[in-house]
Amino acid sequence: MLGKLIKHEFRATARIMLPISGAVLALSLLANLSIRGLTGSMSEIPVLRIFFLFIEFAFGAAIVAAGVMAIVIMVSRFYRNLLKDEGYLMFTLPVSVHELIWAKLIVSLVWFLVTSLLIFLVCCATALNISGTSLAVVIGEMPSWAELRDALKEIGVYDKLVGLTLKMVLLVLLSILAVCLHFYASMSLGHMFSKNKILLSIVFFVLISFAFNMMKMSIGIAGFDALNGTHPMNDSEVMTQFMSRALWVGIGTQAVQAAVLYFATVLSLKRGLNLE
Amino acid sequence: MPILECRELSKRFGSVQALDEVSLTLEAGRVVGLLGPNGSGKTTLLKLANGLLTPTDGEILIEGLAPGKETHSVVSYLPDRPYLAEWMKVRQLLDLFEDFYDDFDRNKATEMLLRLSIDEEMRIKEMSKGTREKAQLILVMSRKAKLYLLDEPIGGVDPATRDYILETIIRNYNPEAAVVISTHLIADVEQVLDDVIFINQGKIMLQSSVDAIREEHGMSVDQYFREVFRC
Repeated sequence: MLGKLIKHEFRATARIMLPISGAVLALSLLANLSIRGLTGSMSEIPVLRIFFLFIEFAFGAAIVAAGVMAIVIMVSRFYRNLLKDEGYLMFTLPVSVHELIWAKLIVSLVWFLVTSLLIFLVCCATALNISGTSLAVVIGEMPSWAELRDALKEIGVYDKLVGLTLKMVLLVLLSILAVCLHFYASMSLGHMFSKNKILLSIVFFVLISFAFNMMKMSIGIAGFDALNGTHPMNDSEVMTQFMSRALWVGIGTQAVQAAVLYFATVLSLKRGLNLE
Repeated sequence: MPILECRELSKRFGSVQALDEVSLTLEAGRVVGLLGPNGSGKTTLLKLANGLLTPTDGEILIEGLAPGKETHSVVSYLPDRPYLAEWMKVRQLLDLFEDFYDDFDRNKATEMLLRLSIDEEMRIKEMSKGTREKAQLILVMSRKAKLYLLDEPIGGVDPATRDYILETIIRNYNPEAAVVISTHLIADVEQVLDDVIFINQGKIMLQSSVDAIREEHGMSVDQYFREVFRC
């Protein structure tokens, strides 16, 4: 059933996210053409110059809108689909509360990753265009994966780099889940009450932020104390170990935060669901 | 085993006692009117039966199980409000019902929609209130469920739509199932009911067959309801 929920969740979100992604791509193309216009002789015509600048502005706005919409969609899908009238259908489907939450989490995670990748790619393309470097030249000069791997192995950092990269990816994924669950838990807790549901959701959001920020701050202070005056920047070996440990602590902290918020969401939806 | 059973079921919202030690059983094959004035606890009872609320005390069982994932596959529920996503097309809703409910008969739904000239490519937001209510009812009644819980299915619609809705319910429900119709518009539903439950201020006032009311009291359910709930 989770697969079916994910399918319908993609159907509901793609109708907004796909046109936005398409707009970012189209404006990226136009913006890159207008960069050439701005740097060429056409920029001497005032109307064209204003037009080119407008395209650049629209491109920047589309990038921001794509990022913001990924968050707005994540929040509004949970709110409208589970906590408002649509909840009467969703909570009477033969699926568990866990499946309902995971479907929303997985689809939000995918859109965050897709949007980030898209923004990264169009920004890279724009940077290349501004620097006047051809993409073919960049690709031609890039070392192959095998060359890169051999070079890293030769200086003995390959395994460590792979380890650090994997930990960073895990940390990013857990952080995205924790952010989603922060919103989900706040809204679910706020909507257990009969009145002032939105106001209470905001109050829970702030309280949860405060509690977890305090926890992270304490862990950060303890981490610096544990360094005991050593300076990891002076020694690459110590630096790698320090980064590895810091990443594990980050992963652990985000995992605990995500787990606590997940169970808060599940419990409030199971025991305290209070649709209007 | 009764299809629905309440054992000393209570639900409190803060200081408001919405249901107060309700005990009742419903058997399959009956069309039951859950009748009571506004705010009497009808919607709360149906929400509890669907797991949309958690009892404060007592329990409610569907085929011996507490409401949840398993019971949702045998209960077909029509809430008292528009609950379909407005952006969705009828075709997408048919897909959704077909995907999740094994007992959903898509052909039956398509036929009913066709008869009402509701285009499958139409979005819910493009429909009038009456058409929306009909579309919701068609989806709910196209399931071969064991228990239909219909909350105010004829509230707020014109008399012609009201007739269509009642006809659709009676023509399409699974005869081995129980149907609960919650309403305060008693005169309109009386003709289709086998049994009635009178509820007021969260308490069950009466559970009886329609025939018994007519024989024992010599009046219609509507007249008897007015007698019992006289202000």
